[in-house]
Amino acid sequence: MAEIEKRKLSSSSSSSSTTSTLILQFAPLQSLVDEGFWRRLSSLKLDTLGIDQSPINITGFYAPCSHAQVSNHLTLLAESLPPEVGEQSSDGTIVRGNRNRCPVPGILYNTNTLESFHALDKQSLLKAEAKKIWEDIHSGKAEEDSSVLLRFLLISFADLKKWSFHYWFAFPALVLDPAATLIDIRPASHCFSLEEGESLSAACNEWRNSSLTADVPFFLISITNSCATIRPLRDWKTCQGDDKKLLFGFYDPCHLPNNPGWPLRNFLALISSRWNLEKVRFLCYREKHGLADLGFSLVGEALIPVPQGWNDPEFIPNAVGWEVNRGKKIPRCITLANSMDPTRLAIAAADLNLKLMRWRALPSLNLNMLSTTKCLLLGAGTLGCQVARMLMAWGVRKITLLDSGKVAMSNPLRQSLYTFDDCINGGDLKAEAAVKSLKRIFPAVEAEAIVMAIPMPGHPVPTQEEDGVLEDCRRLQDLIASHDAIFLLTDTRESRWLPSLFCANANKIAITAALGFDSYLVMRHGAGPLCFPPDIRNGAEDDLSVSMDNLSTQDTRGRLGCYFCNDVVAPIDSTSNRTLDQQCTVTRPGLAPIASSLAVELLVGILHHPDGMCAAAEIATSSSSGSIEQPLGILPHQIRGSISQFSQMTLVGHSSSSCTACCNTVVSEYRKRGMQFVLEAINHPTYLEDITGLTELMKSASAFDLGWDNETDDENDAEM
Amino acid sequence: MGVPTNWDGTLSSSEFYVSARSLSEKWKTTYPALPSWSWNSCARPFGCTSVEIQGYLSLQHFCCPKFVEEEIGDEIYEEEEPTSTTKDEPTDDATLAHSYDQVLHFYDLHIVYNISYRVPVLYLRGYHSDGQPLASDDIEKDLPYHSSKLIKDSRWTFMTVEEHPYLNRPWYLLHPCGTSEWMKLLLAGDAFVPEREELVQQYLLSWLSVVGQVVGLRVPLEAFKNVTTPHTAADA
Repeated sequence: MAEIEKRKLSSSSSSSSTTSTLILQFAPLQSLVDEGFWRRLSSLKLDTLGIDQSPINITGFYAPCSHAQVSNHLTLLAESLPPEVGEQSSDGTIVRGNRNRCPVPGILYNTNTLESFHALDKQSLLKAEAKKIWEDIHSGKAEEDSSVLLRFLLISFADLKKWSFHYWFAFPALVLDPAATLIDIRPASHCFSLEEGESLSAACNEWRNSSLTADVPFFLISITNSCATIRPLRDWKTCQGDDKKLLFGFYDPCHLPNNPGWPLRNFLALISSRWNLEKVRFLCYREKHGLADLGFSLVGEALIPVPQGWNDPEFIPNAVGWEVNRGKKIPRCITLANSMDPTRLAIAAADLNLKLMRWRALPSLNLNMLSTTKCLLLGAGTLGCQVARMLMAWGVRKITLLDSGKVAMSNPLRQSLYTFDDCINGGDLKAEAAVKSLKRIFPAVEAEAIVMAIPMPGHPVPTQEEDGVLEDCRRLQDLIASHDAIFLLTDTRESRWLPSLFCANANKIAITAALGFDSYLVMRHGAGPLCFPPDIRNGAEDDLSVSMDNLSTQDTRGRLGCYFCNDVVAPIDSTSNRTLDQQCTVTRPGLAPIASSLAVELLVGILHHPDGMCAAAEIATSSSSGSIEQPLGILPHQIRGSISQFSQMTLVGHSSSSCTACCNTVVSEYRKRGMQFVLEAINHPTYLEDITGLTELMKSASAFDLGWDNETDDENDAEM
Repeated sequence: MGVPTNWDGTLSSSEFYVSARSLSEKWKTTYPALPSWSWNSCARPFGCTSVEIQGYLSLQHFCCPKFVEEEIGDEIYEEEEPTSTTKDEPTDDATLAHSYDQVLHFYDLHIVYNISYRVPVLYLRGYHSDGQPLASDDIEKDLPYHSSKLIKDSRWTFMTVEEHPYLNRPWYLLHPCGTSEWMKLLLAGDAFVPEREELVQQYLLSWLSVVGQVVGLRVPLEAFKNVTTPHTAADA
């Protein structure tokens, strides 16, 4: 304590003379702009300002430093701007008296273009603000309201399309010329007696806790007989007296141990020009835990030489103060796209929703795989629309929709991607309208439309159209090759033949959904005959399917069937010569959403199964009989349901050696002869039956049913 | 009157307010070195007919204790050409040149009552010293090692993004699923069950002792003085 006594300011003449030549250096203010400020500026620009570029008065906030390693920033908040129209707190005035938000008057120049932002004459703008400060000092206004000593200037360009904001702050400071020199600076606790220190702390705390003075950043401290009092600047005259120690106090945002913060600069200008002092003691007031901390606060002593020309009434001092960005004189740029771009927000929300599902229920859910799985939807009708929606709900992002039709007036009611607008003027192309709609639902979907018809067996092609049809075949083949999962969602049986063959050949996941009037079938096709891995384990299969294996024909053991495996006729033209109500498009409206949802759930199951598309079929009652339980539940082969019975069952059907789409013979023949084979199948209805032996078989059968929906009560695993 | 044994670990909104006051007081006296929790009263969100108190607790500008080394070539900041249209301002000897070797991250933490789950929810956001929001990757890097692991593996803590109910912009939050279950374990797991009033007083403090760890905010043990059940976060 004795040492502290010695270092009392009154005995500062003992300071070493080497420090007297040091220029007093001020730590610049740093800016922090809250996201809320940019958001309000954006809506202000859009709703109120338009292209008006007039400067706007804004308010910044700062407080004394209270963190040993971090300076306090001049902060802009949403409240810094005028309130938005219709906002509840419409009085527009900043609430005074908040000790942590001392208001600082500022001005904002927001330009309409980046070019005009760069073209602003920054030096003149800074000068204009400095002039305001200079005038406030000379008019005495600064002594009444000391916050005007700390003005700031902000120039900005708000790029509302990219949610990015270019900006540059200036904290205008009047330059003392010649510069002030430092005599001494040290922690305030070293400069006072214990008694003085306690009194000063108490006075500061009182000042800081009164709502009248808490946000007044400049003040006078007089110490008489170890008793400190704090007064506003306007009381300058009453603070005079020989027996008093006088200090000039200010809220110091700076945390550095040897430098005062920026606000002192204009304060010194005021002290020098109004009160003609040449030697001043100042207190850099800093806090800890909301209370005065004299160990952290600084007391300094400086000499202010008489500045050149300041007694000339027309004179305005030079000003400095443009904020540097990492040591460089360049503007800053902030981007809020992540929190303001609606598309990014939609993506983040969709992802988080799925992650939440993974967190709560399905830890093994592989969202990355789902988002990268490419799905091809053949048909964009009731099934196609609904499957696309369900895929998006599961986080699938790559969807290709293929359809040749146009949206008809009757479609929007059942086909959930279309609206009335898509039907007028002859109707938009379904594939394109569906893609447009998907993007409206979720802008991040990578949806593609393919307008083409699927060549069908039994629909003979005239010679002049042959090339076009073959071109379509190749295109379909390429599409299937470039996707991971193919949904067969067309409204006729025969249009599923070619994709079934291509999927069997390329060993792609194929899922069929088909509707009767009040019943539905959803199934996954087995692996292709030539790609079937020889090491597939049959041992893990449940008892039922093993026993079914015994029933199966000589075709590859355990390979699951495709849509055509149960048929004893090759696909033929099912739409000609029939009345409308015989066409399979007449269904109860609830069926398509049910079947579509099941089809998508089936895909998710396949993708998550360790054996993928080669996974053995499970049926609903078998889960207790020792099969490995997957987190998503069983993975059936076929699901057949009837809405008239409100019932649903899972079935297994193995591949047929005489299947017209996926048997060894057909796929081998296709590999050998390529498109020539396809063309023959299209043009000659009995060709497929001939090569697969179905013709032979049919001769021995007296009758057969055409559609699967007549077989629903045949609960046997319908192996041929 | 004691808490019914079937207490489900939730609070009413007025109890939340009481608990929030209690947390804020205890925090101030026991851990003055940190910024304090303050209550922000808010206008009722649109459509809310409740007459109960609306608002949230907030702890602003919490400086991340970890000083992150500045990455060279940070992409957040666009490098721009210095403007040539204006003359550079004169060099000024009185301006202290800054050193830029450290990057600071700040956090705002809000505790908001969730009316559906009837539990408090921790909302947070991080930002650079100039106000640029931190990306979720940055935030994850700032989290203490144990909590990044916690967030990945735990069934109790899940960081997600939702619109802040009062500020109407996206904030990170720890999902309230499961909160009532572990709060029940934490406060009513013993044979000794505190009185309801006492339970309300200590609810947020106990809750914060768990979720605060995720964001590196340790509730000091002193805060548990005068609190009857000496549970610590380890019990959760």
